Amino acid sequence: MRDRLLEALKKSTADYAEIRAEFTDNTALTYRGPEIDRAESSSCCGGIVRACTKGGWGSAAFDSVEDLDRQVEEACRCAALVGHGTTELAQVEPVDAERPAQLERDFRGIGLDEKVRLMGSYNDIILGAGPAIESSYVVYMDSFRRVHFASTRGAYYMEERPQVGCFLVATARDGALVQRAHSSTGSPTTYGIVVGLEEKAREVAERAQALLKAPQPEGGPHTVILNPRMAGLFTHEAFGHLSEADFIHKNPKLRELMAIGREMGPANLNIIDDGTLSDRVGGHAFDDEGTPTHKTYLIKEGRLAGHLHSLETAARMGAQPTGNARAVHWTDPPIVRMTNTYIDNGDTPVDELFDGVDKGVYACDGHGGQTAFEMFTFSASYGHRIENGQKGELLRDVILTGNVFETLKSMDGIANDLTVPEGLGGCGKENQSPLPVSFGAPHVRIRNVVIGGK
Amino acid sequence: MRSVLTASTEARLKQGLEEATRLGASAAKLRLRHEDKLECEFEAGEVKSAGSKETLTCTAEVIANGRRGASIGNRLDDVSTIVERAVALAKAAGSAAHFDAYPAAADTTPVETRSERTLALSADEIIEASRRMDELVKAYGSDLYIRCGGDRTAGESLLVTTGGACHSHERTTWSLGLFAQETRGTDMVLAYDERSWGDLNDTYDVEALAERILEDLRRAETIVESPSGRVKAYLPPDMLSMFLWPVTLGISGRNVAKGESPLRDRLGQQVLAPTLTLIDDPHQPFAPGARSIDDDGIPTRRQTLFENGVLQRFLYDLDTAGLAKTEPTGNPGCWPNNLVVQPGTQPSAELLKSIDDGLFIRDLIGFGQSNIMNGDVSANVGLGFRIKNGEIVGRVKDTMIAGNLYELLAGNVQLSSDLDYTGRFPHAVIEGLAVSSK
Repeated sequence: MRDRLLEALKKSTADYAEIRAEFTDNTALTYRGPEIDRAESSSCCGGIVRACTKGGWGSAAFDSVEDLDRQVEEACRCAALVGHGTTELAQVEPVDAERPAQLERDFRGIGLDEKVRLMGSYNDIILGAGPAIESSYVVYMDSFRRVHFASTRGAYYMEERPQVGCFLVATARDGALVQRAHSSTGSPTTYGIVVGLEEKAREVAERAQALLKAPQPEGGPHTVILNPRMAGLFTHEAFGHLSEADFIHKNPKLRELMAIGREMGPANLNIIDDGTLSDRVGGHAFDDEGTPTHKTYLIKEGRLAGHLHSLETAARMGAQPTGNARAVHWTDPPIVRMTNTYIDNGDTPVDELFDGVDKGVYACDGHGGQTAFEMFTFSASYGHRIENGQKGELLRDVILTGNVFETLKSMDGIANDLTVPEGLGGCGKENQSPLPVSFGAPHVRIRNVVIGGK
Repeated sequence: MRSVLTASTEARLKQGLEEATRLGASAAKLRLRHEDKLECEFEAGEVKSAGSKETLTCTAEVIANGRRGASIGNRLDDVSTIVERAVALAKAAGSAAHFDAYPAAADTTPVETRSERTLALSADEIIEASRRMDELVKAYGSDLYIRCGGDRTAGESLLVTTGGACHSHERTTWSLGLFAQETRGTDMVLAYDERSWGDLNDTYDVEALAERILEDLRRAETIVESPSGRVKAYLPPDMLSMFLWPVTLGISGRNVAKGESPLRDRLGQQVLAPTLTLIDDPHQPFAPGARSIDDDGIPTRRQTLFENGVLQRFLYDLDTAGLAKTEPTGNPGCWPNNLVVQPGTQPSAELLKSIDDGLFIRDLIGFGQSNIMNGDVSANVGLGFRIKNGEIVGRVKDTMIAGNLYELLAGNVQLSSDLDYTGRFPHAVIEGLAVSSK
């Protein structure tokens, strides 16, 4: 494949061109209620040629790797059509590497019947957990992606990117009130991640039932403590996306707002994106432009320290590429994305964070989130009241919203219990979804966060 | 586009059905989809990219030993392998099958989904349209950050089943999108709009798209206090469509049969306001969901879902109909093919004028994060304006809405007589939306 890709790139008439060819095998098994609802497998291949001429990008995405010369010509033709400026792409040492998967326990060696039996056992636990349980949703998925990349700079790599995981969801009902609880786990290295989740299955079933009786928090500003999963989601959604340089580099106002050195939060706040964490789903050896992944400080000691870059945004902003150009599907061009993003440890024991709260909300396990630049909204899977420093009553529908700049500055406690959960991630941006990412944090305390409510 | 729907492709897929039967499948279908897409992006005053995408998907779905398996590949040469994998998956880990056989070929209503003039849309023309949108919006202020673009897709598909259905279909689509962002200190105004349709008719209107964004920017110039408590809300057509999302989940036969829909015992009952008549119209020419046949070979039909707010029917694909012991309705995945809301009596401008104090919701952030199946909504107003004495007086910030959409849509709902560019959704005014603000 190496020679075929590099040979086809000789047809390039552009300033820069690259080919990414992929082979993917996926399996997904879904239980919904007592029955298997869907069993699906896929095995596909395809790729994309991207070319850059005078700063304009052309691309040709294809399903067949047989006629690469024609695809290179097509991408170069498109690039020539749009380019009217100058091509600016940062230099990186061209790689020449093969990175086969290093699987601790290879899911490809496990029979479909065994995978079904295992998921069925979790499904049975959820459905049998109590009279209020109405339905279940249990999904097993695995994916084995082999990526071949080559560029006109002479770079070539082959990297295998496996991923295996599952979702456990319990639905409970009381009359018209329906509540869900969920848990997801994922790993790039071992089938073991989906084994032994009986306790997790019981937990989600019990929580879904307990949420039926839980009140909603009162709308308005609250002191909140976020658990690591929730704080991780906040970091990814509210701050991480703002650090992606593709939206900054051609936007002078935003560039000013996100200038390196700007004070963003307390002096003990450090936020990192680390694509080199190879045991988390956001970790790879190289990004989809052939740049080795990095550990990048986005905030260091409370001040903005870096942005996430592709080759182009790095060149245009005079920075080093960070290995964050990623694509979800082979037909997609890489765009600037996060990998594994987290808040680094502070030095406050968790108990002390709670001690400082007379009345507040403990928000747990992020459920989803959305940002529109500085504004964010994201929901916790569940929460608890905090009263006189103690975790109290369970709460449902805990939805936080605010302005990220104000919220980071209102962070007044960072605990020392950093966790980056092993999840599947599923980040969406510009119609490319779901991208494997992970995120985490220690417990953090934030003052004056608006919680939505009736 | 170079068509792959040749006689030999059809023969190859039919051969795949025979292979499935030989391997022990009692029923099988094969579907081939081929798409060719042109797209262009414009950013900060210059063309950023142009590209083409050609994709092919071949899906086999089989029943073997009473269980279903599905397998996907993207090469016509792989049909045998795709079929083998589907049968193996069905046998080892298949989902419960609730039907025995695919229906025989049936008469279908022809629906226009392919437009020659959409097919003829070139990359140059899309770039030109983008340049025009950029230019029109930039006139508002040079500090704006503008992104826009468009695409043109030509698709073809072929479905063959062991029931004897053999149906081919072609579809064309264009789309245009426009995004503008204005930054004032740490305050940002984000305005976005898009359009998409099958035929390149007069709705392919860059001026109309740009005008909507300019209107947003002008309305956002003044920041005013948000209304709070229980307020009247004015919903443009795209927002009404979003507010109807839980209703589409509720009428899904799959959600009903699995006991998860809050509407499961409400057939024949008044669920929504009497002003709301909702129709699934798969035969509207060039609509995104227009089709004459569903993915199982069942002819589609125009169906009333809610008549004056009274729930008329649930939607079923072939498998779910078997599960619920009812007839399939020609709705793939049990979703409406093309949801249409019947218009009201007053022009939208008059509806707006009739509001003494209310909230104009242009965009929401985080919609659908609450228990959307239940109708619960709690979201941030990404872009919204305050209405006072029938006039828009300025933009509201740090504002959240909350409520139950079933309750809100069962209350007093007024619809406009004018519809959006697709002819599918009116503007709406709803009452009693809970609004809180920092």
